[in-house]
Amino acid sequence: MRSMMERRQMLLAGFAGLGALSWPGTVLAIDQIKIRDLYKTQDEFSERALDLAGREIEIPGFMAPPLKPDASFFVLTKRPMAVCPFCDTEADWPLDIVLVLLREQQEWVYFNRPIMVTGVLELGVAIDQETGFVSKVRLTDAKFELVG
Amino acid sequence: MRKPIRIWGGVAAIALLGGCALVDTSKTAAVQTEDSYYADAQARLGEIAARKPNTKRAKNVILFVGDGMGVSTVTAARIFEGQQRGVDGESNVLSFEAFPYLALSKTYAHDAQVSDSAPTAVAMTTGAKTKNDIIGLNQDALLENCEDSKDKHLTTLWEMAEQAGLATGVITTARLTHATPSATYAHSASRDWESDADMSEEALAQGCPDIAAQLVDFSYGDGIEIAMGGGRDRFLPASSADPEDEGKTGKRNDGRDLTAEWVAQYGDGGAYVWNAEQFNALDFGKAKHVLGLFNRSHLEYEADRAKDAGGEPSLAEMTGAAIDMLSADPDGFLLMVEGGRVDHASHESNAYRMLTDAVALNEAIKTALDKVDTDETLIIVTADHSHTLTINGYPKRGNPILGLARGVDGELILGDDNKPYTTLSYANGPGGQLEGARADLTEVDTTDPDFIQQALVPLSSETHAGEDLGIYATGPWAHLFQGTVEENYIFHVMDHASQIGAKAAAKAAN
Repeated sequence: MRSMMERRQMLLAGFAGLGALSWPGTVLAIDQIKIRDLYKTQDEFSERALDLAGREIEIPGFMAPPLKPDASFFVLTKRPMAVCPFCDTEADWPLDIVLVLLREQQEWVYFNRPIMVTGVLELGVAIDQETGFVSKVRLTDAKFELVG
Repeated sequence: MRKPIRIWGGVAAIALLGGCALVDTSKTAAVQTEDSYYADAQARLGEIAARKPNTKRAKNVILFVGDGMGVSTVTAARIFEGQQRGVDGESNVLSFEAFPYLALSKTYAHDAQVSDSAPTAVAMTTGAKTKNDIIGLNQDALLENCEDSKDKHLTTLWEMAEQAGLATGVITTARLTHATPSATYAHSASRDWESDADMSEEALAQGCPDIAAQLVDFSYGDGIEIAMGGGRDRFLPASSADPEDEGKTGKRNDGRDLTAEWVAQYGDGGAYVWNAEQFNALDFGKAKHVLGLFNRSHLEYEADRAKDAGGEPSLAEMTGAAIDMLSADPDGFLLMVEGGRVDHASHESNAYRMLTDAVALNEAIKTALDKVDTDETLIIVTADHSHTLTINGYPKRGNPILGLARGVDGELILGDDNKPYTTLSYANGPGGQLEGARADLTEVDTTDPDFIQQALVPLSSETHAGEDLGIYATGPWAHLFQGTVEENYIFHVMDHASQIGAKAAAKAAN
């Protein structure tokens, strides 16, 4: 079993949340899915995503610039995206994004820093009461850490 | 050489050998002439020396634009495409690289050293340079000034071609209202005025039409025969649900459904399609005016196309359909085909998608070459501007083009920070670090489709670049592409070869 320190070093060695970040066979392992593997087609979730729904998992990606400094949520993207989906309603925002609802507020990171988000996977259309933001995939009770 | 000391070492060795007859000169000639590179170049010389210029009138003209496809992108795409097919990438030849004629294109705008896609497209479609962000207006036009724009209109070759009785088309993987395709049919003091919702109240009050409306209201000849790409929401009212994306709508405020208007104005000959199924069902041999809008915004990257909810035709499929349709006109045709998202992927600094889209454009060019006779069809392949992509030294021959640079000894090549680097990188872009040290890529799979290339200057969106571009040409008058020319010269060759302008003037005089 890898120690937390070793695991942290592995995380630091990774970049862009890529294939390097998986550790099969360890007790500490949490299931992980890439954003691009969430969907079979744009309007249909993948079997893997459906299998993982309701469980605590990890998703690597990037933090889109948050709407406001004191928000407790942000949008996770598969590649760095500086455009804010809330600031510009005309933004051609990709469909495959993940809304991350944090357990507690964390310090924001620059949009191109690779992060690993841990949270409970929720699938299906939901509309945020406060912002009106429509999401199809969410990580709730989430936290994140830098991986590079 | 990698290190200066090796150069000096080489000079020293030559000096020591001076005067010594260590080389068997009788064998030298054969060593050289039987060398594979030498022999290949000799054969190439013979082919080129035997070329005869084609001075027939060009019945048809096809302009392929790889948006943002600079010379380094073409080189990388050549290697990528070859490696994908399992052949040698470095010596691979893309379809258009086999074209006989080539010139270099100077892409600066009237007001800028480095251009955006508006003035560069205008240069190619009208024969004159203009300012950044301006569509179809001359160099004196003022940005976002509707009133001022009214007496600054340039005439595009597509407008002249319609006047002259040719069939016309425009195909893109970007929005049809985006800068490059819109430069065939629109005149706008801002490239951003894609729908009425994108315009200022002042511009609307002064009566300037948005770009999408200009496509449907195009008044030259019998109208554009085929226009396919993305940007559906610019054509649909905000009150209309998008047919593909649940919960999304059109964005027009004026209530116009331009897709319905397109069909209505062309009667039985009009068709509108928005997904692959409808595209496949359409008889392009019979259709007279086709509008295809396969995505709310841009089409998917080629790498993501299979996951599109509604299904999208490939750029090659759209190109083939357009040629099938336009070839029915005995007067000939004029077609623009844009690989619009080579540019977008470079802005993202995602070399994988940039290269897969460049390869998709190459496939579209192959389709065109299969369908037309280059004895009567002038085909031009070029870009509008470059990007800051560079190909770093010194990876070994055959090193994966998306991989970390490994030298001829197979070892990772390290920077002075003792970290490896990828062969492809950008001078600026989202791969730049705002603070802290450059990431260590040693354990990273840089060939992953979502990998972002590293960059020196951090920028949310990587920029265009200002160096010259290749203009690759085949067909009638393709030999007029020689030397280093201005980007707007491309229009003049298309016009000279096809005599479109003269025919339009003659028709207007009658």
